[in-house]
Amino acid sequence: MALAESIDTARTDAPARRRRWRLGNASLASPLVVTLALTTLYPLVALVALSLSKSTLGKPLRDWAGIANFTRVLGDPAFLASLWRSAAFAFPMAAVELVLGLALALLFHRLVRAGRVFTSLALLPLMTPPVMVGVAWKLIFAADGGLLNGWLRAAGLIDAPMSFLGSSSWAAVAIVVADAWQWTPFVALLCFAAIKGLSEEVMEAARLDGATAWQRFRHITLPLLVPTLAAVFLLRLVMAFKLFDLVYVLTFGGPGFDTTTSGFQIWRLAFEQFDVGRAAAATLVFVGFVSLVIWPASRAARRLEARYT
Amino acid sequence: MTLAAHPARPQAPHRWSWIDLVAVLVAAAFLLPLAYLLSVSFKSPDQVLSGSFLPEAPTLANWPAAFGATALTRFIVNSVLTAVLGGVVTILIALPAAYACLRLDKAGERLVSIAFGSFVAPPIVAAIPFFFLLKAAGLLNSVVGLALVYGLTNVPVALWLLMPFLRRIPREIEDAAAIDGAGPLVTLVRVIAPLVAPGIAATAIIVVILGYNEFLFASVFTFADETRTLTVGISLFQGDRLVNFGQMAAASLAGIAPIYLIALLAQRWLVAGLTEGSVK
Repeated sequence: MALAESIDTARTDAPARRRRWRLGNASLASPLVVTLALTTLYPLVALVALSLSKSTLGKPLRDWAGIANFTRVLGDPAFLASLWRSAAFAFPMAAVELVLGLALALLFHRLVRAGRVFTSLALLPLMTPPVMVGVAWKLIFAADGGLLNGWLRAAGLIDAPMSFLGSSSWAAVAIVVADAWQWTPFVALLCFAAIKGLSEEVMEAARLDGATAWQRFRHITLPLLVPTLAAVFLLRLVMAFKLFDLVYVLTFGGPGFDTTTSGFQIWRLAFEQFDVGRAAAATLVFVGFVSLVIWPASRAARRLEARYT
Repeated sequence: MTLAAHPARPQAPHRWSWIDLVAVLVAAAFLLPLAYLLSVSFKSPDQVLSGSFLPEAPTLANWPAAFGATALTRFIVNSVLTAVLGGVVTILIALPAAYACLRLDKAGERLVSIAFGSFVAPPIVAAIPFFFLLKAAGLLNSVVGLALVYGLTNVPVALWLLMPFLRRIPREIEDAAAIDGAGPLVTLVRVIAPLVAPGIAATAIIVVILGYNEFLFASVFTFADETRTLTVGISLFQGDRLVNFGQMAAASLAGIAPIYLIALLAQRWLVAGLTEGSVK
């Protein structure tokens, strides 16, 4: 009797309880709403206001400037070049890391027990602050006392030290190499986890049917991994547009402006030249550019994910 | 080694194959930059110029010098403080939100997608607005201000890491808690959090490391030795025309050491945390 009664009250209370829970959940999520207001809404509003004004770091919003900042930014060939450069770094970086990371994951898988040792090794680059990744690779690429120059000279390939970071194309390569060293292990860990999740039975069946290792990879492993690969590529692409620390440490945007990405250019405008109005306009253009590039890439990735799952 | 993939077959004696060679080369590639960094930290300024892999006459001088040349100890302490404080803020915001968003259906989904969308924006986008926000709040050039920035900006990452763990918890568990009269907060703290403790731990470690490693915000929002973090301190070694690579290497290694220690101790959690979201 008592039990039936309590079940009865529980039933009649259900809508009230559900409402109370919804309210409780909403209040648990409210700090997130505040966070998002501060990290997305506020910066956007502030940037728009600053971009339409004459502003310095010391004195923001000094005067109305109309669209003058935008015309200056869009008429600046150096800034437009930095936009393309940001994309020219992001896509090859993400692609190189995806291919190498997948290869590495397959290697981890083959090694089985030693794979665990490799997982620890893979964490090292991942956990290293990008600034220090830059320092480490700067030591390797340096003209004076760089390891690479030392080896090339020892091998008799060069007579005088080469200034890798002083050459436009080599400096760009150095940044990609350093970034790939840091992030390929991350891609490998994600791919490795996905490979481990694949069914062994299908593999065994294919093996019994006489499929070669390449055929098994090409027709079984690869198609099953497409959703993971698409998601990882997109993630890395997004992150590659954030490139800043490596540029700062390895090349400081040079030689000239040849490795200056938009992020670095905006930093210079705002925090070296204190021209905050122009930097804000440049930032908004950069945000638009990144969204324009990422949007189709994310749609393509989602379509790939859908097709292969 | 390769045969070990099929436990059903008897263990064959180990034969070296090309795959072992590849593995050794890969391991060398992982370690090379760090090994050279270590080597340079034992080189005198003259030896640095030689470009040899190992120091010819190893010297310990760089290590104490690195701590003497800059406020390195202070930088490391500041980094730890900002990273840990920021991590606490991130978890306090992200854990309840991740849990609540999963239960709020449409509205929750939209909130999470806004959070993930905000992750697309490069950090430089927030640098200028946050500068003025911190200035207005009197938190510019302070450890607390930087920690708050980390705490807020890492929330999307924490959500991304936490949600897969929370998704696995069956709803029946909290229905039982609800019948007992518990609200969402009590359920989260008493029932859910203990169940996803490994996920929370992994997420906490990862966001703390993200804070520790951050450079852009730290370089812009702090400008005195009392508040500078390690990454900024390291970049200061570059300030002069003549970089003292030996000291820079020693300072870098001293600074990475705590992170590597954490990575080593919490390895399994870290890998689980990083990969949980990607495996479908």
